[in-house]
Amino acid sequence: MNVAALAERAQALLAADEPEQAEALLVPHLASGSGPIPLWRALAQALRRQGRMQEVQQIQIMLVDMFPGDLTTRFDLAETLLTLGAFDRGWREYRHRYSLAHTTKIERKVQRPRWEGEAIPGRTLLIHDEQGFGDTFQFIRLVHWAKERSQASVIIEVNPESYGLIRRSFPGFEIVRQGELPPIFDTHCELMSLPMALGLQLAQLPGRMPYLMADPPRLEHWRARLQLLARPLVALAWAGRPNHPNDANRSITLDTLAPLAASGAQFVAVQKGPAAAQAAPMGLKLFPLSDEIESFEDTAAILCIADLLISVDSSPVHLAGALGRPAWVMLPFVAEWRWLQSVDTTPWYPQHRLFRQPRRGDWASVVAGMTEALRALGIQTSPADSTSPQK
Amino acid sequence: MSNFAPPLEQNLSIPEALARANAHWNAGQADQAEMLCQRILAVWPGHSDASHLLGLMAHAYGNLDLAITHLRQACQSPRAPALYASNLAEMCRQNGLLAEGEAAGRRAVAQDPSLPGAWNNLGIILQESGKYEESRRCLERVLALQPDNAEAYNNFGNTAKRLGRIAEAERAWARALELKPNYAEPHSNLANLLSEQAEYVKAAQHAHRAIELNPRLADAYINLSGIESTRGNEAEALHWLNALLAFAPTHATALASRALALKKLDRLEEALDSANSALAAAPENAEAHNAQGQVLQALGRFDAALAAYDRAAELPGTAAEQALVNRAVQFMEHGRQAEAEAAFALAAIAFPRSASARFNHADLKKFASGDPEVASMEAMLGAEPSHADQILLHFALGKAYLDIGDSARAFQHLNQGNAMKRSIIEYDPDASTRWIQQITEIYTPELLEKLGNQGARSPSPIFVVGMPRSGTTLLEQILGSHPAIHSAGELPDIQNIAAEYGAFSESMVDSTPERLREAGQKYLHKITPLAAGRPHIVDKMPLNFALAGFIRLILPAARIIHSRRDAADTCLSCYSKLFASGQAFTYNQAELARFHRGYQNLMSHWREILPPSHFLEVGYESVTENPEAEARRILAFLELEWDASCLDFHKAGRAVKTASVNQIRQPVYKTSAGRWKKHEQHLGPLLEALNAP
Repeated sequence: MNVAALAERAQALLAADEPEQAEALLVPHLASGSGPIPLWRALAQALRRQGRMQEVQQIQIMLVDMFPGDLTTRFDLAETLLTLGAFDRGWREYRHRYSLAHTTKIERKVQRPRWEGEAIPGRTLLIHDEQGFGDTFQFIRLVHWAKERSQASVIIEVNPESYGLIRRSFPGFEIVRQGELPPIFDTHCELMSLPMALGLQLAQLPGRMPYLMADPPRLEHWRARLQLLARPLVALAWAGRPNHPNDANRSITLDTLAPLAASGAQFVAVQKGPAAAQAAPMGLKLFPLSDEIESFEDTAAILCIADLLISVDSSPVHLAGALGRPAWVMLPFVAEWRWLQSVDTTPWYPQHRLFRQPRRGDWASVVAGMTEALRALGIQTSPADSTSPQK
Repeated sequence: MSNFAPPLEQNLSIPEALARANAHWNAGQADQAEMLCQRILAVWPGHSDASHLLGLMAHAYGNLDLAITHLRQACQSPRAPALYASNLAEMCRQNGLLAEGEAAGRRAVAQDPSLPGAWNNLGIILQESGKYEESRRCLERVLALQPDNAEAYNNFGNTAKRLGRIAEAERAWARALELKPNYAEPHSNLANLLSEQAEYVKAAQHAHRAIELNPRLADAYINLSGIESTRGNEAEALHWLNALLAFAPTHATALASRALALKKLDRLEEALDSANSALAAAPENAEAHNAQGQVLQALGRFDAALAAYDRAAELPGTAAEQALVNRAVQFMEHGRQAEAEAAFALAAIAFPRSASARFNHADLKKFASGDPEVASMEAMLGAEPSHADQILLHFALGKAYLDIGDSARAFQHLNQGNAMKRSIIEYDPDASTRWIQQITEIYTPELLEKLGNQGARSPSPIFVVGMPRSGTTLLEQILGSHPAIHSAGELPDIQNIAAEYGAFSESMVDSTPERLREAGQKYLHKITPLAAGRPHIVDKMPLNFALAGFIRLILPAARIIHSRRDAADTCLSCYSKLFASGQAFTYNQAELARFHRGYQNLMSHWREILPPSHFLEVGYESVTENPEAEARRILAFLELEWDASCLDFHKAGRAVKTASVNQIRQPVYKTSAGRWKKHEQHLGPLLEALNAP
């Protein structure tokens, strides 16, 4: 078989979710440590799907050393390094995220220099968020560090959906909505470029917690609305934004969660979007709130009242974490870089627990583990009514 | 990203709308800025400021043609500020519209001489147009207005470099890096400059740093490739061009450089493809034409190569000098001496300071005492040209003084030229010695006994082997004049096949007959199309001497002829030459002698174990003394009929591509026997090492 045919065969095996077979096909051609580049790329994919990130890293570093202008591989390397907790180079390589085939057109072309972490007292720094709501909730904490480091006056530009929460939670900052004309500024930084500018280290996490606060009138409203529900009260979300590139891997159907019924807990659905319409499986005590939730303000208030959030890897997980509320996160076998590898805790949110698939596609084990844990938790939990963020 | 757009009030005035559009664009809010501009243009078609802003936006999104259309419109207004003409100038430059850009740039500085950006943009257009003095004045003006402008320092360095003001250029780039340490371009420029000064390690560091800072900076890849090529790392040189072409597949300079890298690796068909791609991408690119010429020349396509050189020489750019020299060298290789002389004269008129033209011409001509060319080359050397040019001039002057008979001066230059060349190449004499020792251990009489008759049985190949400069070209020319023999020059194939089949590894002992046959077939497959229908083909790669045993195993019917020459004469001849590539052992007298001793040991070994029916030794001195007798002896060995044309090889007009190009144009070159004795006092280290016990 020639190189093109081999690469094609390997891709077909990957598409059929057979990374072990793809690996077996490729390895004999690369055993000497050298070989055609397309085969190395395919091998990196095959190893990544098996979660063998150290080996993936070695191949990607070799590819980047040989072809430094291949920014797609550099971005892949960024994700691998961040997964391995190698923050310094990881965040540096992450700067190539707008140089991919599908991202070049969406890079924001701010006509002012990018802030690189230097002190600029008396100047104005615009920090703007990017794509995912979860990213905004996870990384918005860094504006405190940025303010301290830059000694600048900081403007935060965020998506309109998160505007209210962030405005309330960052009183010392000027906040504008995406697309709104910000005040005049001298320098800017994307929210997800702050880790590079700040030289963020894993050990510095999580920083001051919590850093988002729910709206008091809305807390009142939801407290009243939910007061008759039994405890423990568990908020539930099972699908992320359907157009996320990794959605098939991270989202599940509500049916998958049927075994949770055995825990006896009371659930409330905070799921939004098309997945909210899925019917609850028999026996699951699920109180549907989706239609009543108008914004993240509502979700935030509910998360402050509920004892726990159980969710796939999606924005409510980050919202809960930012509010200082616990969540159990259901993760696919190869999770996104932000959850690191193997560990069942996360430095970003000390109260969160991670439930990882023990093998590709095995949500059943994840749900069984959570059901068990929930059962153990059920009896001792007292209502979390008082848990609103500390000032 | 959501497109939250505040509703536009109906009563917004044009200045208000413009201010807002500008503010949105500064914040990177393209949708809002564009909507406001379009609203203004609906009310006031062709509005200057709105057109200008749309042009800047189109430029930021990479739509250069559209940007220029908007900018031209913006500059139509009688009140258009100088800034707009200045921006138009820069966009025209980026799009290769140098004349329009220069006109716009001049308008901008005339309208507002206090605008540094306008001087800067005009300065780089003039630099690209080859108007270096005026470019320098423009850029000095920018620096006077903005003494902390890193980009201006970088641009100034580029102009200074082109003006030959090397020290100024180096200072400017260093200053640019002080002001802006993460600025990729000055690193890349310094890489190029340091490479010319033979500071290859530092040069490569700067190039790598430039690529680290900006992984898509094309010049940095080109410079890094050039550094590796000069250091003799041809495969690395090719790799960096491929790495550039991976993200810029139509980069003309990269494609042209790649053609030359492939040519050096003897991958001529691929080289031609690459040169053709370069010309398809940039039909007016002089470097691409020059590269195509060199590949065509290597392929033996004389007329096509000549046409390519002529085209390269008439186009603007720095390739013209090399194209004129290449043109002359091609005439020389084909024995067309009068045309070669005329071509060198042309090159010298167009580029009086070209060291390459002097060096190549020196090989063709015979110098006599008082030749003005000698003084002129000495003067050029005194002006401290680049390291590479100094090497060329030292070897050219060495040749000139040898011609004249001034041994002392000749060796002054040869010693310096060789030392300079030696300092930039990698060569490990111990590794050479070990390698030769290993060959004698692998190719034992037992091995030849065991596997001696297994390979591909074709009597077609004839190998001429020996030290470089030992008379291999002379033998090849004599043989190639016979009607049954085609001379193919120096082919890399045996060395490639040897590497592929592990000729230097212990495992050779376990080779199966099938594998040996396959290796032999591979070679036959390569040479058969070259033979032009003749029954025999000569491959005169001298260094195949190390592979005589391997050849015996894979091609048991092939004949091997060893060209022998007096050791000191051979080494003297090697030492006085600057080879086009390879031969790293020839740039130091002691190393050269040591290599020669290894070679002699190995040849004694072959003499012991190769059968006389297939291995013949011919003394260079005997051939020059008695050509006919030696030619008859060789033909008898080859079992071929005598043919008188073998003695008329110098009339044949076949291309000679090796360092012997000009000797074989004389009937038989007798002046060189015992030549070393005249230079004995300058050959101390060589003779000592040759005669060591």
